[in-house]
Amino acid sequence: MPPGAKKAVKIDNTWVLVCNEDERLFAVSGICSHQVKPLVNGRVRNCMITCAVHGARFSLETGAALNLPATKPIETYQVRVVDDWIEVLV
Amino acid sequence: MNVKVNQDPNAGLPKGAARYPNAPSTQEIIATDKVAAPGWVRSESYEFLGDEDVSSDRYTDAAFAQKEFDRLWTRTWQFACREEHIPEVGDYHVYDIGRYSFIVTRVAENEVRAYYNACLHRGTKLRASGTEGNTSEFKCSFHGWSWNLDGSQKELLCPWDFPHVDIAKNNLPQVRVELLGGFVFINMDPEAPALADYLGPAAMAHIEAWKLENRYIYCHVAKRLPANWKLSIAAFMEAYHVLDTHPQVSVTNADANSQYDVYGEHVNRFISPLGVLSPHHYGKYTEQDIMDQFTLGDSSALGDVERKLPEGGRARQAMADMFRNMFEKATNTDLSSVSDSELLDCFSYTLFPNIFLFPGISLPMVYRFRPDPRDHRWTLYEVLFLRPVPLDGKRPYPAEPVRLADDQSFTEAEGMDPGFGAILDQDTDNLILQQEGLEASAKRGLTLGNYQEIRIRHFERAVDQYVGGKA
Repeated sequence: MPPGAKKAVKIDNTWVLVCNEDERLFAVSGICSHQVKPLVNGRVRNCMITCAVHGARFSLETGAALNLPATKPIETYQVRVVDDWIEVLV
Repeated sequence: MNVKVNQDPNAGLPKGAARYPNAPSTQEIIATDKVAAPGWVRSESYEFLGDEDVSSDRYTDAAFAQKEFDRLWTRTWQFACREEHIPEVGDYHVYDIGRYSFIVTRVAENEVRAYYNACLHRGTKLRASGTEGNTSEFKCSFHGWSWNLDGSQKELLCPWDFPHVDIAKNNLPQVRVELLGGFVFINMDPEAPALADYLGPAAMAHIEAWKLENRYIYCHVAKRLPANWKLSIAAFMEAYHVLDTHPQVSVTNADANSQYDVYGEHVNRFISPLGVLSPHHYGKYTEQDIMDQFTLGDSSALGDVERKLPEGGRARQAMADMFRNMFEKATNTDLSSVSDSELLDCFSYTLFPNIFLFPGISLPMVYRFRPDPRDHRWTLYEVLFLRPVPLDGKRPYPAEPVRLADDQSFTEAEGMDPGFGAILDQDTDNLILQQEGLEASAKRGLTLGNYQEIRIRHFERAVDQYVGGKA
């Protein structure tokens, strides 16, 4: 997970998207709250991710929906690094 | 025999030729700098354009605003975004003017297009206003019709129900796009002149010399202003207001001896030298006072350094030397080829209809003014600060806009120098009084100075040409 990388992983039945932006790790829902499309192709910039499908934007820090067409937030998860492993609390 | 000697150096000059008496000109001030200014600084292009009043209904009449939307905004070149907003293929940025909305997108490494931001099915915006991102298609969130980056239609749900739609021809309508200095300009008018012709050769030479494509947005602030967009623009077109509106900076600014120039129909400028005493204050302040009171648009590099003037030194030169050294170190940039004037002075250019470019280093702004389409008495104002890209070549992401509430001070905007924010507060606090005053006034026009307010006359002349149908 070098800076700029994103990875979608399924933990139990939950899609989680892990992003490394400027060496800050974020873990959020891998599914857009707008029309349940995958977020993995979204552009990450300035601690935000923009869904590639319809352009909904979310804060990676809080999960808040920042513009239409999304009005509902996405989940955010605690993330930590242990011995080179990225762990997410789902 | 007694001979009466006329002491007025302006006596007998033609209209517009008078200047502040017994003060050096902007060119004379700049000529004394250690690191000499380039040609685009050391030139003059003033023109007298008449002295009749400018009608005030243009600021107060909603019907005039509608004419502007019909005839001006649809026919002029406008700054839609910076190239740095859309560096990768598939990046897009939504630009709105009035009711119009455009998706500006990079379709290939060296090709940017702009599409009307509306689905060709039932009209839904394909992307929300004020947004940007990256995509491989523009897909409508309503029924899923989608278009490729190149504007060709990609998908139409249930084509059996639309035998009357030819997908091969159902492309997203485009507007014209041109790139200049890192800015993406659009124009809705297919008959408009090319951007270089619109700006003219003199202004083009200036803009190309600045290399603004090598800068990035490090601060972006947006706020609504309670006045017509043209009043808001005019508030920044002259230094005549500095003495009364900005008393804290008038000491360090050659306000009354600033230089004003016009170029063709769409570009004008002033050069307002800094680090020298205003002629209004001659005899009242020392060079050390000027040094102490100097306000920079980007003062972060200076920090709290002691501003001690060398024995016999001049504040302007000392500030240039100090700012050059500290700014280079703080921002990892090379200013060795930049003149003292470019470092310090306020270069304010207007590109009609609605942007200002300030190509200096200490005052490195871009302003954009757009009318509120729902109320001609309100303006959306944005200020962007540009910095040179660091020497290591790694271009930072452009700053996200900080949106201030109507009652918030610019000094509260994260990333903006508080001293500069205070100046913007003073500028914009005048506007509501001016808007209301024009509506209350028995006089139906504005009276302008021949020299110091020539940019306003030049700007309003261009407005008249578009709205009146002469452009």
